[in-house]
Amino acid sequence: MKKIVKRQLFHDLAVTSGLLFVTTGLTFFLFYFISQSPANIALFYVIGIITVARYTTGYFYGILASFLSIILINCFFTYPYFRLDFSIQSYPFTFICMLTLSSITSATTSNLKQQTEILAVHEKQLMEAEKEKMRANLLRAVSHDLRTPLTSILGSVSSIEAEEFCPCSRECQKLLHNIHDDAEWLLNMVENLLSVTRIQTGTSSLNTSPEVVEEVVSESVDRLRKRFPDAEINVSVPDELLIVPMDAMLIEQVLINLLENAIIHSKSAQPICLVIENQPEFIYFRIIDYGIGLQESHLEEIFDGTWSDSDIHKGTGIGLSICKTIITAHHGSITAQNHEEGAEFVFTLPKEEAYA
Amino acid sequence: MHKFTVLVVEDEKNICEFISKVLTSHNYRVSCASTGTEALSLASSLCPDIILLDLGLPDLDGIEVIQKIRSWSGNPIIVISARTLEDDKVQALDAGADDYLTKPFGTSELLARIRTSLRHSNKISGNGLPQHPFRAKGLEIDFFKRNITVNGQAIHLTPIEYKIVAFLAQNSGKVMTYSAVMNNVWGPYAESDNKILRVNMANIRRKLEKNPAQPIFIFTEVGVGYRMVDEDIL
Repeated sequence: MKKIVKRQLFHDLAVTSGLLFVTTGLTFFLFYFISQSPANIALFYVIGIITVARYTTGYFYGILASFLSIILINCFFTYPYFRLDFSIQSYPFTFICMLTLSSITSATTSNLKQQTEILAVHEKQLMEAEKEKMRANLLRAVSHDLRTPLTSILGSVSSIEAEEFCPCSRECQKLLHNIHDDAEWLLNMVENLLSVTRIQTGTSSLNTSPEVVEEVVSESVDRLRKRFPDAEINVSVPDELLIVPMDAMLIEQVLINLLENAIIHSKSAQPICLVIENQPEFIYFRIIDYGIGLQESHLEEIFDGTWSDSDIHKGTGIGLSICKTIITAHHGSITAQNHEEGAEFVFTLPKEEAYA
Repeated sequence: MHKFTVLVVEDEKNICEFISKVLTSHNYRVSCASTGTEALSLASSLCPDIILLDLGLPDLDGIEVIQKIRSWSGNPIIVISARTLEDDKVQALDAGADDYLTKPFGTSELLARIRTSLRHSNKISGNGLPQHPFRAKGLEIDFFKRNITVNGQAIHLTPIEYKIVAFLAQNSGKVMTYSAVMNNVWGPYAESDNKILRVNMANIRRKLEKNPAQPIFIFTEVGVGYRMVDEDIL
C-alpha cells in the first residue's frame, strides 16, 4: 500500500514539474522570439495548470502549479526580467484567477475518476449477477436431471432386496445393468458440474496454460474409451506441433461431452471422426458422426440447455450448454450443423492468448 | 503361495469394505486403517507390501502420511483420491507416492495398478538398469546398446529423447510427473518451465507412435506427467 502511495506521489510531482517546465519553455520561446504580448503568457500558463490538475490526484498539485506559475511569470516574463519582484499590483488577482481555475479542474477530474470507479463497480456487480443467474439455472436443471437416475437406482436396488433375486438370474442381471448405466451417467454429470465450478471458483477468468493439443485430445479419447470400449473414434491431427493456451481439464470435458453425444445419439455404428485443423488464428476441432443427424428445429437453441424433449437422452442439453460455457470462456466459438450423412459439431480455440 | 499384504487406508467404510473384498478374493491379505495415525502404526508393525492411501483422512493430511512412511520405507504407495485437481496429484506423487487412482475407479484397473507397483518394487537391479530389454506392444528398448525398435524397425532418437524414453520405460506403468522427468533428464538445476519437455515429447511421439493423437506407448496425464505403457509379461 505504502509503495503505491509513494509511486503516486512521485508520478504527480513529475507531472507537475514536467508540464510547468514545458509550458515555461514554450512561452519563453514565444515571448522572446515571436511576440511580447503578455496576454498569451497567462493563457499558456492557464493551459499548463489545467493539464496539471487533470493528470494529478487531489487539489494540491493544481494549487502548487498555480503558485509556481506566478513565480515563473514574474521571474521570466515581467520587468525586471530574471528577477522576482512582487510590487506589481495586479498579481494577487492573476494568482486568484489561476487558483480558482486549477481548483475547478481538480474537482472535475476527481469527480470524473470517482464516477469511473463507480461505473466499474456496477459493471462488476452486473457480471456477478449474470454468473449467479447462470449458476442457479444450471443447478435447477441439474437437480432435476439427477433425480431421474437416482430414482431408478433406488428402485432397482430395493426390488433386488425385496425379491431376493438370485444374483445370476436374468432379471437381476438386467437390474444391475441398469444401475450400472445410471451410476455411470451420474458420474459423468458430476464431472460436468465439477468443470463448471472450475470456471467459477477461479478469480474471474480461466486458469489457462499452454498445452500440447494432441496430448489433450489423446487423453480425452482414452478416458472415453474406458467408458465405451466398443466405440470407434478416428482422430487426425496436423503434423506440426500445436501448443494452445487452455484449461486442459475443461477442454477435455468438452471433447468428452461432444464425443459421447456422437456415440449415444447418432444411433449408428459407424466410426466417429475427430479432426483437428490448424487455421491461421484458430484451431478447429470437428466432431463428425455418420448417424441420424440433428433436428433442424433444435439447431438454434441446442447450446442453451433450455430445450427438453421427451425422446432425447436425459441431460444432453446441460452437457452442451456446459460445452458452450467453457468454449466461450476460452474466447472460442462452438457450432452445430448437419452434413449429408450425420451431424457435425465444431469448436474453435484461439491460438494466441488474445485475452488477459 | 506367499500372499502379498495390502494396507488399505480409507476413512469411508463402504469403500474400504469393497476394496478389501475385491483384494481378498484375488489372494491378497488385507488390513484396513481408517485414520492417518492408525495407518502409520499399522504400516510400521505390518510392513505391508503395498499401501493404498486415501488422501482425505480425518486426522492427518495424506501427503504427510506419505512423507512419514517414505522416511523409512520404500514400499509402493498408491494414492486413491477423490480430488481431481492436478496439483493434488502432482503433490502426492512428488512426495513419494508411486501411482494414483482417481475415484471412482474400476476394480480391474485397481488390480492392474497394484500388480504393476508390486512388480516394480523389486525389479530394478543394482546398477539402476533393468536386466533385460524393455518390451511392450512391439516397442523394444535395449538399455545396454541404447537402441530402440518398434516392430523391428530401428528408431533414431536424440540423446535427450532417448533419456526421456528410457526413464519412462524404467518406470513403466507408473505416472512420472513433469518435474520428475525434468530432474532426471536435465538435472536438478533445470528450468521450472516444462515446455522443453513437452516439445521433446511431441517429437518422440512423432517418431514412435503411428498416430500421435492416439498413442499406444506413452500416455499423457494432462497437467501431471507421462506414463509409459506397462511392460509385457514374459
